[in-house]
Amino acid sequence: MSILSVDNLCKNYGAVQALNGVTFSVPKGSVFGILGPNGSGKTTMLGIIMDILKPTAGSYTLFDTTPDENSRRKIGTFLETPNFYHYLSAVRNLKITAAIKQRGDEDILQVLETVNLTERKDSRFSTYSLGMKQRLAIASCLLGNPDVLIFDEPTNGLDPVGIAEIRELIKQLRQQGKTIIMASHLLDEVEKVCTHVAILKKGKLIAAGDVNEILANDDIVELGAPDMEKLKNIIGRLTGYNDIKEHDNLLQLFYPVGTTNLESINRYCFENGVVLNYMQLKKKSLESKFFELTN
Amino acid sequence: MIQLLKIEWLKIKNYNAFIILSSFFALGVVAVNYVAFSVYKNMISEVNAAKMMSSFSPYDFDRTWHTTSYFAGCILLLPGLLIIMLVTNEFTYRTHRQNIIDGWSRKQFIEVKIVLAIIAALASTALVILTALVFGLASGTSFSLEGFSFTGIFFLKALTYNMVALLISVLIRRTGFATGMFFIYMGFENFVSQLLDIWSIKLRRDNTIDLGSMGDYLPMNAADGLLTFPDNPVKSLARGVLPTDYTSVVMVLCAAYLVLFCWWSYNRIIKTDL
Repeated sequence: MSILSVDNLCKNYGAVQALNGVTFSVPKGSVFGILGPNGSGKTTMLGIIMDILKPTAGSYTLFDTTPDENSRRKIGTFLETPNFYHYLSAVRNLKITAAIKQRGDEDILQVLETVNLTERKDSRFSTYSLGMKQRLAIASCLLGNPDVLIFDEPTNGLDPVGIAEIRELIKQLRQQGKTIIMASHLLDEVEKVCTHVAILKKGKLIAAGDVNEILANDDIVELGAPDMEKLKNIIGRLTGYNDIKEHDNLLQLFYPVGTTNLESINRYCFENGVVLNYMQLKKKSLESKFFELTN
Repeated sequence: MIQLLKIEWLKIKNYNAFIILSSFFALGVVAVNYVAFSVYKNMISEVNAAKMMSSFSPYDFDRTWHTTSYFAGCILLLPGLLIIMLVTNEFTYRTHRQNIIDGWSRKQFIEVKIVLAIIAALASTALVILTALVFGLASGTSFSLEGFSFTGIFFLKALTYNMVALLISVLIRRTGFATGMFFIYMGFENFVSQLLDIWSIKLRRDNTIDLGSMGDYLPMNAADGLLTFPDNPVKSLARGVLPTDYTSVVMVLCAAYLVLFCWWSYNRIIKTDL
């Protein structure tokens, strides 16, 4: 079952094409990153999916059905900015969210505890710092323990500890089998938590699929030895890799994803009289891939 | 709908502006009528002392329904302002988006606002009925329901004010601009209404065409015109010159405006980006 399926979605603001024929689907249980620079259409797309923006063309389904307010109630969504009644406390705001979601009030205190807002639960929203507002928005998504969560730039405005906490929370949610759709312009964030990714640039979908397939076409094995000349000689006779490069006085061997066997490389070098003093398996960095894809 | 209204209540019950504006309106309705009541009472006792006219009070039954409705109608912009604040708050805090993201439909969002405007008009009318009753009884005359229909016209006027406020809020979205526009529109409509009244009189004089007080054909002046005292100088002049009774036309127009405002607000929320 696909949680979300987007088909040829387009959105124009006058002459500006914010989304241009975007098509992809989000499998159940995945952490799906929507990656793109500012203004690439991430929030516009999520806004359409949440029915606060009208698409110019195209369609989408949620839980394989035509979406309506019932499907939205099954999803915890935090879109763009934390939107709450400024004159109400966290608890009173969450009571409104729970009532709209047609859920009970019983887990309000628990979700506030999850995001470390228990101490300030009765303070007005207007007195919160940006980070606290952000955390309240995430707490609001967790109400009713939904199976699907949509986060738009969830770590915006958080300090490093807050960022680490939210990432940890996302990992925990994933372990519970939840599907998470997360828009971000932070490459590092997507690389760390996502299983799948869709890359947007100026409203166009550049790539979508498994993170390992999209973001790492090669496994890179970096090798170093005291005698680099000899290492180069013997590696030339080794098979299995696609390409070989020298970088920062190290040798880089490019293997197809999942075919690398570090043990056999190490043994081969040793048996041919070269003792390695450096060996590391790297995925092609998301950043380099991102620039490669978007330029 | 009950569920939606309960949620609206959660939003407004701790909102200071709601408490203050509602209290001002409630106190205002009582105060403005009390002032009128006292003025008439004192004036009449003096007139009576001179034995120039028989005992008469605008708060006697059956006049109390009309008088109270008329004076309360003068401060109807307070519930209008309240509607503006409650609706534009949603746009300011972007909670209109969040409500829909969390699981309301756009239809539910606007429907509950329309119902809220109706409830505010009903509550204002209930307050007017109660005030009229108290002043009627205080004037020492026996209870009568004659003229009670004026409270119905008050309801129409309150509803028109609230619907105009709702429409302006939905179209403009920003509290300050919407409030400003509400006042500007009220002033503008009154000005045009006066011009139309003058034109009506001129038409009658020059072409013997009686189209009634055309100033009453505008949205906020329609129910207002029906509620205005017959001894209002401009109206009495207009009515003297324009004898045909166009009350039913004004009523139909008033209802048509209400439908138009509802439809416009509804369509705006349903069809545009939020």
